[in-house]
This record gives sequence, structure tokens and C-alpha cells, in this order.
Amino acid sequence: MSDLETYRAKAAAWLETMVPDFGRDARQGLSEADDLALGRRYQKAKFDAGYAGINWPVEYGGQGLGHLEKISFDAEEMKHGFPNFYFGISLGMPVPILMQFGGDKAFVKERVLKALKGEEIWCQLFSEPAAGSDLAGLRTKAEADGNGWKINGQKVWTSWAHYSDYGVIVVRTDPNVPKHKGLTYFWVDMKAPGVTVRQIKLAGGDSHVNEVFFDDVKIGDDHRMSPVGGGFAVAIATLMIERYVATDSAGFGPHLDLFVELAKEIEINGKPAIEDGRIRQQIARNHAMRAGLDSINVRARLMMEAGMIPGAEGSLNKLVAVRSRQKLSELAIDLRGSDGFAFDEHASQREDWTSSWINAPTGRIAGGSDETLLNTIAEKVLGLPQDHRPDKGVPFNEIPV
Amino acid sequence: MSILYDEGQQAIATESRRALEARMRKDDLLPLLEVTGRFHEGFWTMAKEQGWTALALPEAYGGLDLGLIELGLIAHQAGRTLSGAPFLTSSFGAAKAIELYGSDAQKARWLPGLAGGDTIGAVAFASGADALPVKPGITFVGDRLDGTLTGVSAAGAANVAVVLAMGADGPVLAIADLTNAERRIVPSFDNSRCVADLHFKETPAEALTAGGSARDAALHILALQAVITAHEQTGGAEALMEIARDYAITRRAFGQVIGAFQSVKHRIAELYGLVELARANCIHAASREGQDDFITAAAAARLSATEAYDTAARDCVQIHGGIGVTWEIGLHLHMRRSRSLAIEQGNSLFWEDVMVDRLAGEAA
Repeated sequence: MSDLETYRAKAAAWLETMVPDFGRDARQGLSEADDLALGRRYQKAKFDAGYAGINWPVEYGGQGLGHLEKISFDAEEMKHGFPNFYFGISLGMPVPILMQFGGDKAFVKERVLKALKGEEIWCQLFSEPAAGSDLAGLRTKAEADGNGWKINGQKVWTSWAHYSDYGVIVVRTDPNVPKHKGLTYFWVDMKAPGVTVRQIKLAGGDSHVNEVFFDDVKIGDDHRMSPVGGGFAVAIATLMIERYVATDSAGFGPHLDLFVELAKEIEINGKPAIEDGRIRQQIARNHAMRAGLDSINVRARLMMEAGMIPGAEGSLNKLVAVRSRQKLSELAIDLRGSDGFAFDEHASQREDWTSSWINAPTGRIAGGSDETLLNTIAEKVLGLPQDHRPDKGVPFNEIPV
Repeated sequence: MSILYDEGQQAIATESRRALEARMRKDDLLPLLEVTGRFHEGFWTMAKEQGWTALALPEAYGGLDLGLIELGLIAHQAGRTLSGAPFLTSSFGAAKAIELYGSDAQKARWLPGLAGGDTIGAVAFASGADALPVKPGITFVGDRLDGTLTGVSAAGAANVAVVLAMGADGPVLAIADLTNAERRIVPSFDNSRCVADLHFKETPAEALTAGGSARDAALHILALQAVITAHEQTGGAEALMEIARDYAITRRAFGQVIGAFQSVKHRIAELYGLVELARANCIHAASREGQDDFITAAAAARLSATEAYDTAARDCVQIHGGIGVTWEIGLHLHMRRSRSLAIEQGNSLFWEDVMVDRLAGEAA
């Protein structure tokens, strides 16, 4: 066994011991408040066992290991349905970026440790009603106010803002220059006066995203994490951290085996659906696609182990996997016919086709929409030109609305 | 598990690409479409000289003892430049059948010639829409073959064929010297594939393996060939994606290059996705030879590569507009090849069934 395999086996064994207290079954029927409380205890257990901040510096409470150990752990952890998603964004982007760009080291260290132990949660305040894929078009503004700044505006789609203690935020500090150049990056206290969080109920019934309103929210200049006007670069750095998250060729939906099982149980025209050519074709096509992604991901891991940078094909994961998960979920509902109406909004997207289906659109939009990902592949990988952009080089306050 | 190519394998890819790009010309391939029974002699001469014919065969019989990974790399490059003959795959399949299931005498008789490329092999299992019939349509009785096999790639030029025939006690994997067999060339949309019908009439042949194992053996040979063909398809798709990209960044319309329109750039980005999935499945399948999941991996490679090449052929022509459908520009060479490769070694319907039988645990 390689060192990595040994690490993974040890992590898998530890995770097994967590299942009775924190696994899928332990969470059945809990209110969200109780589930979050359970999640905080699970996060603390991870911290105590040395599985929090796996690839973070030791000086910040991390383990100082590599991305491969992190990805291996995540892949094992994913199997058990632990209550870890409250911390996914927090530890995924805002806190790592705070370590990198936060000014006051003592303050940063205190925050990072509390976040790693699950005591504090951070959110990421990027998207706005008029700035989704076009992030640099955001309108929330920060104006100079004494020695600090005053923030006014609105953010949206902010995951877990209603539980968050802090957030990182990109705001416009200068509307007189082209849009990318007038942005600045700060951290904010989510409990500060003037911050209002309002949950948004999504199509599938859950409400983990929020609108966040800023009304004359005052912050010191020591909250600033970029040069004034240099916020866009830090925003991009924040999004780039996502490159090293665990991937899933099922698009974070159910495994194809579950579809095969369903097709064996259900009959079409008096014969098992697994014998129906239409169903067989979809199984085969989906397997070929998932096997391709699995091979891409194995090779990416091998390249990282060899000290190389993985190829651009890794960018296909979300685009290809979620889109096909959406269609396969529709077919699974079709297969069940009139039994397909039944719906449990608390069912897991990884095990229930209906839950997978109704939540799939979120997966195709969040974290880079399909269209944005296709643009990125076309422009960055294939060298095709950017779209026509009427706002290019135009001062933000002169862009036609 | 999948693999990263080592230095030697990367060198094979680079060197074969250099050789093929220097030798293969659209202007030599276009005339081959309008005659039957001919192939690109220069391509096959190069395959012999470069040792590609010997690559995946045993050293004891003049081979180089490499495998699917290396031959796949050559096939990928051959697909990029439109290989001028089908023998890289067909001779390999015939040779593997002899190597894996033949006697020492059969190996000694056929393998050196196949490794050197002077003997050309064909593999003929299909009976029309059935890529691997449970009851083959030709018979093998008393070491004689009788019956007709239609639409056999490479048969127009092959010296030897490996066939699946019905024997007294079930299917037989057999080998036949084609010297005296009657063959009728099939005029095709891709004539350099040398497709012919083989008419056996008391044609002398020898069994390689018989009984219950014969069909499994044939499926294994088909899967080995399918992995090579999938590499060739992926190479073709990759070339078309690049041709489409290059055209989209030069051709202008409505005051800008057409690649700036999302309808065009997204189409090309989708091709990138199909090509990379096919490539990943090819690499994986080539590294699984000899493992339990080889057939499933081969099926995945085959399905994704067929989809990639077909789609790339459609979309690349579409992106070119009117110029794309002219004889002279030659995109139809790829269009034709994408379809001929799609039906060689079992079509997508066949491989879908092979795969799902295994995923559902119904495989014998």
C-alpha cells in the first residue's frame, strides 16, 4: 500500500466509527437547528482526530498535508451522509482566503481555529441580483467613512448566511472606472448593525441560501483584504480554490447502480425494464460518461502525485455530470409511472431520484453555470474569442442599463 | 485504475504523429473514394517500416511485445490523419486470435507475416446487424467453410481471415487462407476500407477454438479491436474539433470571427468534452487488458468514441457552412470514416447490450 492508500484506509476506518453518532440514520428526523448542533459536534470530532484542515498549514491548526490526502478523505467522508455541509463553503473558500489575505495574523488564527472546530461559520458574499455569472457587474458599494468604510447594497444566494458569524465580501469602491477595476475585498461581521439576512426557499423546499442586505454597515479599514480597486483578483483567487475539491461522476446525485436496481425491479410491457432497449441505452450511455469522468479524475490524481498539474479536462466534471444526472433522474421518475408522484423533500439527493431531479437545476447554475463553463473551456482551453462585451473598458457608471 | 503515459509511450505518439503528418495528404485520400479495392499504399508501407504492424505481437514471432496502450496511441494518430487502410486493426485482431487461441503451428505459419505486414488479416464475425451471432450463418464442417459473410472490412485485400462459424457442436473460431476464397468487393462510401463479401465454398480452414468458449473468444478479439478503433475514432474527433476551432477563429461574419458567437463556440466546447471523455475511456480500457472489467471498459471506450467522432463530423461540417460540404475541402473524408468506424467491430447498439449485460450481472 502506498502512503496515500494507508492514509485513506485509516481515514475510512475512523469515519466508520463516526457513523453511529453522526451518520445518515443518526440525522433522521432532526430539526435543522438540532442537525446543525450535531454538525458542530461532528466538526469538532474531526478537528480532534486531525481530519480538519487536512491540507492547511499547521500554524493555523491544519495538518500540513497535501491536496491528495484532502481529496481522499472527502471521497470517503462523502459515503456516509454526515452533517458537514454547513461548513462546506466556510472551510472551502472564505476561511482559506482569510488565511491568505487577512491582515491581522492573531485575529486570523483565532478565526481559523474556531472555524475548524465548527464553532464559527463563514459565508461568501459575492452574487447579487444583477451580478451572477457577471460577478464584476456587482453594485453593492463601500464608501470611505472616516478611517473606515460604509457598505450599502444587497447580496443574494449566500449559502448558510443565516448561521454565519462572518463573511467575505466583494463591493464596488469606485464606479468611475471599468467594472473589474473598481472592486475591493473585505471581511464583515455578519452580526454587525445594518446586516439583515433573509432566507430564500428554493424550488426543492430547502432554504440554505439567503438574501443579505447591507444598510450603512460600518467597518474599519483593517477589514480590507485587497488593495483598494484590487478586489477582483482576490475574488478570482477565492473561486480558484475549488479546483481541489473532491469530484463525483454521479454529479452528486445517485449512483448508477441504483438506477440499474430500479430497472430490474420495474416492469415495462410485462418484462423487467432492464430488458427494455430504451432503458438499456440510457444505462450504457450514462455508464460510459461516468467511466470517462472517473478516468479523468484518476489521471488528475496520478498527475498530482507525480508533481504535475492536472489537465484542463478536469473542468468537464460538473458540466457533464450534473447535466446527465438531471436527465437520468427524470427517466427514473418516468420509470416508476404513477408511483413516481411520491416525494419526500428531506430525502437525500444521492439516494432519491426525485430529490436528485428537483435539486439538479441548482447544480447546473451554482459555482459556474453550464454556459459559463462552456465559455471557459472555449476561451481558456481552445483559444476561442470572448463574446461581444458592450461593457468592456467602459467605466462602470457609464455602462448602458 | 487508469494510467499516465510513460516517456516511451509519449515518444511513440510524437513519432507516429510526425511520420503520419508528413505522409498523409488529403489529395491522395480523395481519389481512393472513387475506386474500389484500393487502399493507401504509402500508409501501409509506413506502418510496416515503422514497426506498427509488429507492435503488439509477441517477440517470438517477429513482434515488439508491446500492447494495446502503444497500438492505441498509433491508432489515435492514424485517426487524426485518416488512416489509409483498415489493416492496423484488422491484422492485429486476426493476429491476436491466432496468438491467443491458435496452435504453435498456426502461430508459426501466420504471425511472422502479420507482424511484418506482408500478410494482411481480416476478422469476420458479424452477420448483418448481429455483430456476434449466437448461431453463425456460415458452417465449419470437416475443416471446410461454407456460406457467405457480407461487408467484411479489409477482406478486399486480406490474405487470411478469422471467422466465427457453426460447427457440428456449436460455434467455432476458425482461420481460413483467403488465397482461393471468392470475394466480391462492396462499393462503399469509404472505399479504402476494402470492404468485401466473402463467399466460402468448401474453403479449407482450421479451428482455433470450438464449443462454448468460441463465442467468448470472439468477443474478446472484438473488444481488443474495439479499443484500437476507439482510439482511431478519438483521434479523428480530436482533429475535427481542432479544424472547427481553427476555422471559427478565422472566418468572419457580422463583423466578427464566428467563434465569438456562443452558438459556435459552445458547439466546439461540447466537442472538447466528448473528445476528452472518449480519450479517458480509451486510456482506461487499454490499461485494463487482462482484467475482469476489460470488456466493460472496452464498451465504454467504444460508445464514447463513436459518439465523439459522429458528433464532431456533424458539427465540424456545420460550422464550416457551405464550404464544408464541398468535395475539395475533404471534411467528408472524416464524415465517411466516422460512419465506417462506427459499424466496424460491432455498432453502438451491440456494445450497449454487452455493457448493460455486465452492469446488470447477466453476463455468462
